[in-house]
Amino acid sequence: MTQTPSFRDVEKLSAYLDGQLKPSEKARLESRLQSDPEFASILKELRQTRGLLRQLPQRRAPRNFTLTPKMVGQKPPLPRTYPAFRFATVLATLLLFFTFATNFMAPRLTRSATAPFAYGMGGGGGGAETEMQSATEEAAQPALEMPAIEEPAVPGTPTPFATLVEPSAQNSTRIEPTLQTSDKSGVQEAPTNDTFAQRIPEEEPEQVRTPAPPVSAPVQIALGVIAALSALVAFILRTTAIRKWRAKPK
Amino acid sequence: MDELALINEAQRGDLDSFNTLVLTYQDVLFNTALRIMGDEESAADATQEAFLSAFRAIKSYRGGSFKAWLLRTVTNACYDELRRQKRRPSVPLEPETDDGEEMETPRWLADPSLSPEEEAETDELEHAIQHCLEALPLEFRSVVVLTDLQGMDYKEVAVAVRVPLGTIKSRLARARLRLRECLQGFWELLPASFRLEEEIIRT
Repeated sequence: MTQTPSFRDVEKLSAYLDGQLKPSEKARLESRLQSDPEFASILKELRQTRGLLRQLPQRRAPRNFTLTPKMVGQKPPLPRTYPAFRFATVLATLLLFFTFATNFMAPRLTRSATAPFAYGMGGGGGGAETEMQSATEEAAQPALEMPAIEEPAVPGTPTPFATLVEPSAQNSTRIEPTLQTSDKSGVQEAPTNDTFAQRIPEEEPEQVRTPAPPVSAPVQIALGVIAALSALVAFILRTTAIRKWRAKPK
Repeated sequence: MDELALINEAQRGDLDSFNTLVLTYQDVLFNTALRIMGDEESAADATQEAFLSAFRAIKSYRGGSFKAWLLRTVTNACYDELRRQKRRPSVPLEPETDDGEEMETPRWLADPSLSPEEEAETDELEHAIQHCLEALPLEFRSVVVLTDLQGMDYKEVAVAVRVPLGTIKSRLARARLRLRECLQGFWELLPASFRLEEEIIRT
C-alpha cells in the first residue's frame, strides 16, 4: 500500500498537503498524483489523519496561569531608609553580642597581664573591643599549649626569660607562656603587655584582682534598645511599603 | 491595548501586561502541553512553567509570531517535565503494596490515567488519538502537535523545536504515517469516511 512510493515521496506528499512545496516540485507531484493512484491514496490517508488531529477538541485551561509577583520574584519597592535601619539592627546586635563575649571572657584572662590592659580599654568603642578580644584570644590559645613544653625546662636550666618573670611565677604558672607568646607573636599591644608584666610583680605581687566587667551594663542596655528600636522601625517600614504596594490600583 | 504594546510593557517588567498575554494564550499553551504530555495535571504544570520562563526571558523576544515564541517555551517546558518524570516515575513499575508485598489483585494493571468516570466522559476517539500521539517518539509528537493541532507553519515549528526545516518535513510525514497506522487499531471509532477508504484499500 504505502510501500511502493519511497519515504521521500511520502514526505513530499505531506508537505504538499500543507502547501509547503516549491512551485516546480508541486507541479511535478501533481502530475504524478494524476498518473499514480497509489500516490493519490497516500495523500488521502495523510489528509484524513491530519483531519482527525484537527478535530481534536480544544480544551479550556483548567485554571488561569497568570503570574503573581511572588512567582516571578518581584519585591515591593522599600523605602531608602529601610536598609539603614536593618543594618543598624544587625550592627547593634553584633556589638551587644561582643560585649557579652568580652565580659564573659575577660575574668578568665585576667589575674594575668592582660587584665589591666583590658580594664584600660574597656570604655572604648566596639571596634576597639573587637580588636582587644581577638588579641586576647590569640594570646590565650598558645597559653594552653605552652606550659607542657616550658615547665620541664624551667627548673633545670633557668632561661633569661624565666628569671625575668620569676616573682610572678608564684602567682600563676599561666602567665609565663602568655607573656612569651604575646611577646613573640608581634601583636601591637605586646610591648605594652610586657611592660605591665614587668611592673605587676613588683607593684602588687600578691593581690588578687577582681576587675569590673570591661563593658558596663548601661552600654549593653543602650545597644539592646538600639537593636530593638531599629528592628521595629525597619519592620514597620517594610509592612507599610508592602501594604501600599498591594493596595496600589492596577 | 494591542499585543505589541503589551509585550513592550512586559519587557519593561510590567507583570500586569504580561498577565493579559497569559490570559490570551493560556488555552493554546495548555492544549499543546496536554497533547504532548497526555494528562491534565502535567500539562498544567508545564503551562505554568512555560509562562514563568517566558516572563523571565521576554527580553529575548525579538519580534515575529509571539504565539510561536510562546509555543517554543511550552514545548521546552514539556520536554523538561517529561525528563523529570522519567527520572522519578510516579507509577511504581513493580506490583507491590506499600509494605513491599506483591499485590494480589491485578488492580495495578489498570490504566492509571483514566478512572471509569473519566473514561465515560472522555470522547473515545479523542482518547484513541491521544493514545496514538503518546505512542510517538517525543520529537515526532511535538512536531505533529504544533503543526496539525496548533496550525503553525513549518518555519515556526522549526524555530519552536530548534531543528532544520527539512527535519520538520520528515518528522511530520513520519508522524502522520505512524498515527494513521496506530489509528487503524481503533477501527470502530473512526469516522465513516475514514473507514470507507480503508475498506476500499483492503479490497
